[in-house]
Amino acid sequence: MRQIFLKILTLCFFTYASGQNIDISGTITDAESGFPVPGANILVKNTTKGTVSDFDGNFTISDVEPGSTLSFSYVGYLTYEVVVNDNSSLNIQLEPDIATLDEVVVIGYGTQTKKEITGAVSVVGSETIEALKPTRIEQALQGQVAGVNVTTNSGTPGGGSTISIRGVSTNGDSRPLILVDGNVVEDLSVVNPNDIESMNILKDATAGIYGVRAANGVILITTKTGRKNMPLTLEYNGYIGFQQTTREIPLLNATEYGIIVNEGYAAGGSLPPFDDLSVLGEGTDWQDEVFQTAPITEHSITLKGGREKSSYLYSSSFLTQDGIVGGNKSNFTRYTNTANYNLDFLDNFKFKSGLTLTRTNKRGLPENALGSVLFNALNMAPNIPVRDENGEYSLADGLGGEVINPIAQMANTYNRTKVMKLNGFGGLSYNFLDHFTAEANIQFNYAEVTTFSFDPIDFYGIGKVFNTVTNGAFEGFDIYRDYTFDGFIKYENTFKDAHKVNVLLGTSVFKTTGVLSGITANNIRDNDVANAQEALINDPEDIYQERGSNPKFDGRLLSYFARLQYDYKGKYLLSAVIRRDGSTRFGPGNKFGYFPSGSIGWVASDENFMSDSNFFDLLKVRASYGILGNDRIGDYRFVSLLNGEGTYFFGGNDEEDQIFGIASGPIANPQIKWEKQKTLDIGLDMRILNNKVDITTDYFKRRTEDLLVSPQISGLLGTGAPPFVNAGVVENTGFEFAIGYSDNFSDDFSFSVKYNVTAIKNEVVSVSGEGEYLEGGGFGISQPAISRMEAGFPLGYFIGFETDGIFQSQEEIDNAAVGDVAPQPGDFRFVDQDGNGVIDLDDRIDLGNPIPDATMGLNISLDYKKFDFAAYAFASLGNEIVRNYERNQQLVNKPNWYLDRWTGPGTNNSAPRHTIGANGNTVFSDFYVEDGSFVRLQNVQLGYTFSNDSEDDPLFDKFRIYVSASNLVTLTKYRGYDPSVGNGAPIGGGIDNGFYPSAKTFLLGVNVKF
Amino acid sequence: MKNLKIVNILVALLMLLSCSDDFVYVDSEDQNSETFFNTEEDYQLALVAAYDYLQTMSKFYQFGEIASDNTLCGGESATDSPYIQQIDDMIHTPVGQSDGGLRTMWQWMYEAVNRCNYIMEFQDKTDFPNKTNVIAQTRFLRAYYNFVLVKWWGDVPMLIDERIQFGDQFNIDRTPKAEVYALIEDDLIFAAANLDNSQLGTGRVTKAAAQALLGKAYLYQDKFSEAANVLEDLINNGPHRLLTSVEYPNLFERDWENNIESVFEVQYSDVDGGSFDCFQCLEGNYSVYFNGPRGFVDSAGKFDAGYSFNVPTQEVVDAFEPGDLRYETSILDIEQYIIDNPGSSYEEDAGYEQTGYFNRKYIARLGDLNIGDAALTNPDNYRAIRFADVLLMAAEALNRGGISDTRALTYLNQVRSRALLPNVNFTGNNLTNAIYKERRVELVGEGHRFFDLVRTGRAAQEIDGFVAGKHELFPIPIEEIELSGGRWSQNPGY
Repeated sequence: MRQIFLKILTLCFFTYASGQNIDISGTITDAESGFPVPGANILVKNTTKGTVSDFDGNFTISDVEPGSTLSFSYVGYLTYEVVVNDNSSLNIQLEPDIATLDEVVVIGYGTQTKKEITGAVSVVGSETIEALKPTRIEQALQGQVAGVNVTTNSGTPGGGSTISIRGVSTNGDSRPLILVDGNVVEDLSVVNPNDIESMNILKDATAGIYGVRAANGVILITTKTGRKNMPLTLEYNGYIGFQQTTREIPLLNATEYGIIVNEGYAAGGSLPPFDDLSVLGEGTDWQDEVFQTAPITEHSITLKGGREKSSYLYSSSFLTQDGIVGGNKSNFTRYTNTANYNLDFLDNFKFKSGLTLTRTNKRGLPENALGSVLFNALNMAPNIPVRDENGEYSLADGLGGEVINPIAQMANTYNRTKVMKLNGFGGLSYNFLDHFTAEANIQFNYAEVTTFSFDPIDFYGIGKVFNTVTNGAFEGFDIYRDYTFDGFIKYENTFKDAHKVNVLLGTSVFKTTGVLSGITANNIRDNDVANAQEALINDPEDIYQERGSNPKFDGRLLSYFARLQYDYKGKYLLSAVIRRDGSTRFGPGNKFGYFPSGSIGWVASDENFMSDSNFFDLLKVRASYGILGNDRIGDYRFVSLLNGEGTYFFGGNDEEDQIFGIASGPIANPQIKWEKQKTLDIGLDMRILNNKVDITTDYFKRRTEDLLVSPQISGLLGTGAPPFVNAGVVENTGFEFAIGYSDNFSDDFSFSVKYNVTAIKNEVVSVSGEGEYLEGGGFGISQPAISRMEAGFPLGYFIGFETDGIFQSQEEIDNAAVGDVAPQPGDFRFVDQDGNGVIDLDDRIDLGNPIPDATMGLNISLDYKKFDFAAYAFASLGNEIVRNYERNQQLVNKPNWYLDRWTGPGTNNSAPRHTIGANGNTVFSDFYVEDGSFVRLQNVQLGYTFSNDSEDDPLFDKFRIYVSASNLVTLTKYRGYDPSVGNGAPIGGGIDNGFYPSAKTFLLGVNVKF
Repeated sequence: MKNLKIVNILVALLMLLSCSDDFVYVDSEDQNSETFFNTEEDYQLALVAAYDYLQTMSKFYQFGEIASDNTLCGGESATDSPYIQQIDDMIHTPVGQSDGGLRTMWQWMYEAVNRCNYIMEFQDKTDFPNKTNVIAQTRFLRAYYNFVLVKWWGDVPMLIDERIQFGDQFNIDRTPKAEVYALIEDDLIFAAANLDNSQLGTGRVTKAAAQALLGKAYLYQDKFSEAANVLEDLINNGPHRLLTSVEYPNLFERDWENNIESVFEVQYSDVDGGSFDCFQCLEGNYSVYFNGPRGFVDSAGKFDAGYSFNVPTQEVVDAFEPGDLRYETSILDIEQYIIDNPGSSYEEDAGYEQTGYFNRKYIARLGDLNIGDAALTNPDNYRAIRFADVLLMAAEALNRGGISDTRALTYLNQVRSRALLPNVNFTGNNLTNAIYKERRVELVGEGHRFFDLVRTGRAAQEIDGFVAGKHELFPIPIEEIELSGGRWSQNPGY
């Protein structure tokens, strides 16, 4: 067996040659750690003679001719060459290679070296994750990889993000497929970033191996594991820190507020409410009341090691983070425990396994909506104190139905979501007949999600929509299960030293099921959250059972795939993939689909005519094309199911009179099939100046056809959710460029800088029928939707009126086109686009879109002696944000730029007069659209390492201390909280209702290795 | 050769490990709509869902009132809910009617008709003793919804006895109004013949309700003798009566829901929550909250606050004769109320087009559960057809049809004397006008006025901005024409 093992590793070189001369033996060790390197290749150059090092790093190679060159290589290390003299003993130290061409990249059911790859694949390594210290792994992707854009959905602890790879290709769910050790993961908040070894992002047709789920790209996450023959190491990482808001929006103080409000009332013909402005003073700064400095702490330990035939890892972590809004009312706490174990039963029969238990506990506050906490902090009148003279929370009377005292609101918010997730994998691989490997892997997820909320009896003022006279509690308990089974056979061989062939044939089965349940209870004793459980136990109402609705789901995928990889002398590369997928999401005629993709590459730098020039260490041209699928719509949309709402009351209005009828749910379309994405990529990889400069550039065109849109449909079909139809085309055309430079100037000083830029043009080519569009995105109160998906425009563009300054006089109004609401001097002049003399809905135009024209990332790291320094910056350019956090009501507070409003002819030509009377200034126009471009210094970190040079101090191997600051500086013209935050919706994204901003975070941390 | 064998075995093993294509053929846990209707319970549950859309009347009767000369739109500002502001000002267009406007209402009515037709499609599938009764209720509901459609839009696509499936929508023409009325009449005649009045007060359809609606449908077509026949049959032989003058002030209170004067009543409840995301899912009567005074604090503890929509004009207030019992029940004079109930207050300047009057019949009362969004979950039933309406319809039919002014006068005076007003003694046109005037004040706030003005040809003279030949019908939302294959012509004038 051992022999077979050796044979495989040395396959390319292993033939027998005759000779004589000397025998050489020695030990190969890691230059950094001093650990032995087993399995390293030792080759006599220009011969086929070679061997591999054993478990202890020892090797013996016999019969070597003096003067020949020995080459020592191992994956992850720089190849070391030495000329053989008569010395028969060699001790070799291999230097770890941080970014070599031999770096292994995970590409789905296998790996390839960077040099061999023909697709657009980017890698984020653990060093980046370690440097960024993200609480969620999405944060480690932002700005790191060209073509990947991450939008934070909310700055709340544990808040989600939306990842888009190479643009938004669909109006539906455009999230990429994310696999952690082959395991489908939808919610990344349960993953501890410390456990991650690497993230590989498949951006083009390379993703085709994942077929019907690949259209939005695939992110393959590999977790850390121990290495064979590695002594036990213990690492502790921990930090403590605090977070603050990145910004407060300058608002009017109470006196300024009084002036503006009085003016508004006077202009509207009403009596000004404040007789004496002098008593108002500064008033309450509601933002100061709402925002706080919040702590964050993380501890994690990792134990790993390996023996001759096995390796293991155990890690455990604890993170707790309060929110900058609400403190522990928006706390997120996560515990993770991971163990994995790999064992070689035989040299050709291997086993791997892993098990992770994660628990998270998240609390949250209402956010990014009318009446959410920050919305209220912005709109709450500054003349109202937090508490009244009796010590009770002040009421927000007169401020409209949605604006309430945000401090009272936070105090009355009780909710939490607990997730207990167990996931794991197990796999066997068997190597036979020299060239074949059979692998079978099973991955599973099991999650229990418990949600709890309590809505106490509360009163925030007259007519508030949040007033509650009957308290209630809700408890949900949902179970999610899924498994993925992958089985495949690989064949690898090289013919005539030139033709390397790699064939993969496999199958994959995925099944996800779950059961949802929920109970409610009302009239909780003493209006006390502590009694909620008791009521939920004693007098529960089952929301599913009682309504006869189905709480279960079952979704499946059945796939077969084949891949051929071929290269000729490592110079001409080719890869072809075909996958057949069957999905429960589509009807009988459309269940199965075939997804072909292919790619080619040419390593020009290996050609003889180039090898003379030392300029290029690598020059590779590659191209890929493929058809990928997207099936991310709900289950069973091809069949009409009775899951609609149809409730009525007979004999009275009470609970016992309520009858839950049965009605059709969403409208079915039996014809639906997956979205098809035709994706083309042409790329160039280059390394020059002794691998110091690394350039990757790509041009891509992704054309999504048969878009699964849910268009507006004729009302004759009723009110069921519109069916999905395959109609519409979206194109994303773009360009990526990444350049890295790294150099070790001396043993004491190394430096690296990486920069990447992505420019994407998004265009909707068509949407279902002629002139049709999809819309979404609310603005103000009861105004028409402002976001559209429409042919000829970017996906999710904003439609509204263009302003042309302010009417300065009645005379100007008399000579202008006006709309329903007659303007007065000081109101907006809207542009009559169609020139029909009337301002109407037809005069609305494209006012921008939330998709950035370009995004870029810049990473700098610098090591000097024992200091290390890293800085990461990200920029997003050319995206627009809609300001929708103003309530437009007569008594709410306003941003302080209202002080520059129009107050008379010639005073202002951009901000309108203030009035409570009828006016058209609040309809959606470019006045509410702001440039959302920004540059943000995402992280700066300075570390110092105490190395343990002395033999007599056994305490630790490495001790590093660092300080880190995240989101320290943001340069933007955007006037809201945070231009980096968005809800990520393809249609309706980029509308700011008072986003929970990303926190500015300061950490002090240590890394200790024993 | 050995190698090949092993490869073969492995490939076979791989195939074995994987599944057959059957793996991805699984049925949903939800019932398939094609395999339903196997028991009486199935029919009954589908019928409940058909009743459900009666609750969308909250919007219809509110909009009907605002369209008329009885009220102004109000609301928070001139841009609060533009579609209804426009209807109030008679400047509404086929554009911008999604998300709560005319398009939403159109969609609701077709959902409702489809739910009835779903039952009708499978009416022969399973037999059970109560089936005729179930079908009769179903046909009443279909007639009710179709009647709304013809009142608002005139000629409308008429769907009969089967659901329409996705794809069918491109091949359906508008059916002339007369044919839709014919189906309404058929349905109601069937319902009246096959229902009895034993379910009075439960919210179920009764024979009386079918007769009343049939009479109304006849009256809308000026079929006076048919209307008079069926309405007088109901008056003389039916179970309903007017509340007495003493009882009357309670007519719109919660404790008096489904009372003896209520011929057909839409049921609402406060036990379910609700959100602005799905108005048709609501179990509460949202418009009663929308009709209330902004920031209203009622020291008497009777009324809730609201969003200040649908505010009565001075003109309709002046239409009440002195001493009319109904005034106090119909109109809330907010300033007077605050004087009468010291400690009360409201936000005078917070609303748009405020008149100081509110629609007292349908504003939210305090005292309900206020679960979920308190604005949307009010339990106040809509008295869709009252016996007073029946009497006035009968009077109108008898008078305008030249059948009997004497009997017409009797019915009119019943209504007047209940309101503590003296009898009148008119004939001919004068009687007609007296009936019209009585209808206005008797039914103010209940959503009938606009359609009464239209069907009697008086709308142009009474409603500001009303253009004869145009505003009798509402425009078909532009999207609805486009999304149904572009084969329908728009209503005239739009």
